[in-house]
Amino acid sequence: MAEYEYIEQKTEVSRRAFLGILGAAGAILWSGIYITTDIFQDRNKYIKMRAKGLYKDDTISKIRQSHNNHAVAAMYKEFAQKPLSPLAEKLFHTHYIDRTKLS
Amino acid sequence: MEKCLRTMEPNRRFKLTDKGERILKGLQEKEIAKVIVIEEDKCKGCDSCKSFCPTGAISGKYGAAHRIETEKCIACGQCLVNCPFGAPGDVVDPVDHVIDKLRNKQLTVVTTIAPSVRVAIGEEFGLEPGSLETKRMYGALKKAGFVIGDTNYAADLTIMEEGSELIEKISHYMLKEESHIHLGALPQFTSCCPAWVRYIELNYPQLIPNLSSAKSPMMMHGSLMKTYGASHLWEKRPEDIFVVAVMPCTAKKFEASRPEFSNAAAYWASKGTAGNYPDVDVVLTTRDLARLFKKLGINLAKTPEFEDADNPMSAYTGAGTIFGNTGGVMEAALRTAFFVICGKELDVLEFTPVRGLKGVKSAEVTLKQAKTGRELTLKVAVVHGVKENIKPVLDEIIAGKSPYHFIEVMNCPGGCVNGGGQPINPMGTSWTEKFRALLPWN
Repeated sequence: MAEYEYIEQKTEVSRRAFLGILGAAGAILWSGIYITTDIFQDRNKYIKMRAKGLYKDDTISKIRQSHNNHAVAAMYKEFAQKPLSPLAEKLFHTHYIDRTKLS
Repeated sequence: MEKCLRTMEPNRRFKLTDKGERILKGLQEKEIAKVIVIEEDKCKGCDSCKSFCPTGAISGKYGAAHRIETEKCIACGQCLVNCPFGAPGDVVDPVDHVIDKLRNKQLTVVTTIAPSVRVAIGEEFGLEPGSLETKRMYGALKKAGFVIGDTNYAADLTIMEEGSELIEKISHYMLKEESHIHLGALPQFTSCCPAWVRYIELNYPQLIPNLSSAKSPMMMHGSLMKTYGASHLWEKRPEDIFVVAVMPCTAKKFEASRPEFSNAAAYWASKGTAGNYPDVDVVLTTRDLARLFKKLGINLAKTPEFEDADNPMSAYTGAGTIFGNTGGVMEAALRTAFFVICGKELDVLEFTPVRGLKGVKSAEVTLKQAKTGRELTLKVAVVHGVKENIKPVLDEIIAGKSPYHFIEVMNCPGGCVNGGGQPINPMGTSWTEKFRALLPWN
């Protein structure tokens, strides 16, 4: 019986091909990371954009403190008297419910 | 509501009311049982909703369709705005009902528009996120037939009530002055966020005394419009005023259905005209309002601007409008508290320590009482994103070690601007949509 001899076939990766493979792998990794971070960044970006819009609304307002709101002051004068008055307690305040006891 | 109950699982325990209606555990009569439901066909079981749910109300194994347990759900809608597949949906849809009411000429249909709506509604009409659309939104509302009311007005009113309550508590507990009204405990929590209120009611009932007794701006505005509005402004019967709240929030739909919120009816009953109506009749989310505009053929982006001058129900200040941001309620409250205690206005109104997206923001403000010259240091904290950030703060209070006097809490990360009723991910409808948009063959 002839002796079987295993001869490994040479796979040769030239320096140029190796760099090519490395480059391709890098590109795939990088684009994956870029896309995911991009999506996540976007998801927080809109919160900041909307918040900025509201702060802008504050800055462009002529009156910027609640106690200087003329309409609210007029309402108190004509109707609810003052904060925490009996009528204000009735209309603007509430109570809460222990929901663990609701079956 | 009946439809919601019918879709309930059969193994739930029910209690029956006198009329034979079924009530779920942890819910009062007439309250909307389900606001958010996950569509089984769309759910891929990816668990992202679970990572956003503040109460752990979502059950279901990874890979299998998920389900929301109504008893634990606070209806904040964070699962809805963050689902990559758009599976959770808002099942309370009153758009057609509102259109019907708008056609009824006997009714005065009044809106109460939340601050965060004006910086997000544009997104549904192709405008950039954060573009301030107050005037065009007013124009579109006018065109649709609404009488304009702005929740920002009620936010200012909230500051007056909630701020006065806080000052009363501080002078009673810290300065040992007498008080004529029943006061809760310090630290005082804000109570504007309905999801947060329900969170406390469900999970920390021992902290209920810490919640400010002031109603949310929406509910205050509702009862005010049906009392003061009815008698002093429009001279209408309160039954003929139909209040439509437009909110960035799905939990508001639940809040408006709470049976205790019929203060206007109780007020008129005490004046001799009995009636049975809620303070706020219908709640629309920002998405719902956009749908309503589209159904009526109104394009917000092309609507001429409209300024509603001389309308007391929509007059607001800068302090009222920042309510939609995390830290906004605190900043607005401090502006007024400073004035009330120190007797003069703040030089710089922007209070930066409570701005930004840090999970828990805290600050100290030294106030000098104008009357007596005494100094007191007010310690405040701002929490948003209840899921991640609230527990240490609450544990501190329960242990009696909390240094704070006033704590603002908003359930959603970033505050109401990122609420569950806002347009879904403006940079694309959902993550997968966004991903698909990047693909070359699209």
